[in-house]
Amino acid sequence: MMAMSSSATASNAPLTKRQRTSPYPTWFFLPAAIIYGVLFLFPTFSSIYFSLTRWTLFDSTFIGLDNFAQFFREPFLIQGVINTIIFALVTCTLKVVFGLGLAVLLTSDIRMRALLRSIVFFPVLVSAVGVGIAFTAMMHPTRGIINIALDLVGISGPGWLTNPALAIYSVALVEVWRGVGLATVIFIAGIMSIPQDYYEAARIDGASAWERFCYITLPLSRPATVTVIILSFIHGLRNFELVWAMTRGGPGFASDVLASVIYKQYQAGFYGLSTAGNVVLFVLIALMAIPLYIYLNRREGHQ
Amino acid sequence: MADLALKSIHKSYGSVEVIKGIDLDIGHGEFVVFVGPSGCGKSTLLRMIAGLEEITSGELYIGEKLCNNMEPRDRGIAMVFQSYALYPHMSVYDNVGFGLKLAKAPKEERDRKIREAARILQMEHLLERRPSQLSGGQRQRVAIGRAIVREPEVFLFDEPLSNLDAALRVDMRMELSKLHQQLGATMIYVTHDQVEAMTLADKIVVLNNGEVQQTGAPIDLYKNPANLFVAGFIGSPKMNLSPVIAGEVSGSRIALGGEGLEQLSYAFDGHRQKPGDRLTLGIRPHALKISETGPVKGKVDLVERLGNETIINFRLGNGEQWLAVVDGDAPIGRGGAVAFSVAESDIMLFDENGENVRCLVSAVDGEI
Ligand SMILES: Nc1ncnc2c1ncn2[C@@H]1O[C@H](COP(=O)(O)OP(=O)(O)O)[C@@H](O)[C@H]1O
Ligand SMILES: [Mg+2]
Repeated sequence: MMAMSSSATASNAPLTKRQRTSPYPTWFFLPAAIIYGVLFLFPTFSSIYFSLTRWTLFDSTFIGLDNFAQFFREPFLIQGVINTIIFALVTCTLKVVFGLGLAVLLTSDIRMRALLRSIVFFPVLVSAVGVGIAFTAMMHPTRGIINIALDLVGISGPGWLTNPALAIYSVALVEVWRGVGLATVIFIAGIMSIPQDYYEAARIDGASAWERFCYITLPLSRPATVTVIILSFIHGLRNFELVWAMTRGGPGFASDVLASVIYKQYQAGFYGLSTAGNVVLFVLIALMAIPLYIYLNRREGHQ
Repeated sequence: MADLALKSIHKSYGSVEVIKGIDLDIGHGEFVVFVGPSGCGKSTLLRMIAGLEEITSGELYIGEKLCNNMEPRDRGIAMVFQSYALYPHMSVYDNVGFGLKLAKAPKEERDRKIREAARILQMEHLLERRPSQLSGGQRQRVAIGRAIVREPEVFLFDEPLSNLDAALRVDMRMELSKLHQQLGATMIYVTHDQVEAMTLADKIVVLNNGEVQQTGAPIDLYKNPANLFVAGFIGSPKMNLSPVIAGEVSGSRIALGGEGLEQLSYAFDGHRQKPGDRLTLGIRPHALKISETGPVKGKVDLVERLGNETIINFRLGNGEQWLAVVDGDAPIGRGGAVAFSVAESDIMLFDENGENVRCLVSAVDGEI
């Protein structure tokens, strides 16, 4: 059908799939291209340039790879990279687990489903800084509501943000609380796009609720799962606001992530150095996210 | 194999009643077709038998067991969906074997049954493919294969052929018939297509508005429709229907008024019809025979020559459109006058409530 109509308007030459995909004229894409160029391509390439300079905002001198050399000598860099990866892995895993669980719950026949969906999504709307400040208060070792509540049941709570071994995990938990709503919404959309027929066929085939989840929901919501994994993993790698609002990388440098290390250099006035750090972060994200994306999508050829 | 009994089955969604009390007995190994217009509740009824839909009230027996609250898997049924509902992420082999795998059947047994089903359905060469790599007819086969391996007592089909093209539909229809003979299982089949119903069924159940209109063998429904609805629904082309008024009585005969139909009369049961009654006359297009002196007169609007037969569209004196199906070489031209005769046994009359008068008569006399 499509082939017929477009070959009637275009030429008689055999058309490849690629040639006949777009029904729109080429200049339709110009506005998007300009916005993309101004807001993404230009800053990206200029930051790559500035990362090779000593830069004081007003003038810059080209110094080659010195910034990168210095960035890699940064004493807390390794700790920052490890924390970044821990943070990304923990938040990504928990968002997938809780997001999927909540989505299954919120697509089932429960009462007040619409209300519960809004409640789960609500934290996504609050700014990370606001969330960070609120949770910092709640996680205060002695006066925070969390430890007070734990005290009531006889557990003496830990120093959530003051214990260096725990701080990064505490921040990660808050990020999960904040971001699980988005993951849930994506999973809900994925689950709702699964035709009801499959569940009914599975029931007739004798599948229990758990088996229907394993054999139908899980494999068929795979596109949603891939989206959530990629989005939350990248979000986790780039995380800055929450760490900064809650611990500023502390205690000491125990919860520093790459982005906060970079920000500290920027605060100290090393603009070229911090730009180099950003380029490193960008490359790191690309190096981890692109193979992950390819891996997760490898079996999607057949529906 | 099992027989089924539906006793006063009701189904409501909220305050809307979609199935309004259905009583039905289905025997061992019978091929039963539920037929009716779209939205009449066929699927709902089938899904209640399958256990996918709760029964609001009434009792459902499969075999000897009361099944109202039984899980689908315990009912001894298998179902083929209109959409086929093949699991898109599994190969044909896994699709067919899914139920056996869940039932923890040993691997060799599973393999044997899957291959046996594939052999019956001639789809051995498709086992490694995914559903997306199959044509409509092949998907249909896989869906049936998935039902077969469960070795159910009762097969349920919900409009299984409606997504196929016309030629394939005819083929699959024959295959289903063969399959029924081969397996000997009870089959319940839902369709809105009366031709499918006529060709497949041992027993047809005509539904409308959530109620059974008539149950019977295809030929019974064709020859003796219980009411106007069944008369109009079964048979192709549709039965000609016209309002008439019962006229003079002479002996045990009653004349029928109506322009173009003046000379028709009808042997009647004296207790029920009297002059002045408003009735509906029904005559099947195939029952009309060209005859210059015949009582049904009209003007030819259109002649469709199909080769083996000719369909004549003609208009009665009162302007109503009728159809007649006559021989392929009947010498009829457009625009001319035409007259038909009709055997008395082919005349049907329906009273004001739409009930077949002859059925009423036969109910009184105990014979037709
Ligand atoms: N889940 C439902 N909720 C409300 N009404 C429904 C539902 N399912 C079916 N119905 C109604 O029940 C009637 C019968 O539907 P269905 O059994 O699917 O008809 P059929 O299969 O004969 O076309 C229709 O009027 C339909 O609108
Ligand atoms: Mg239906």
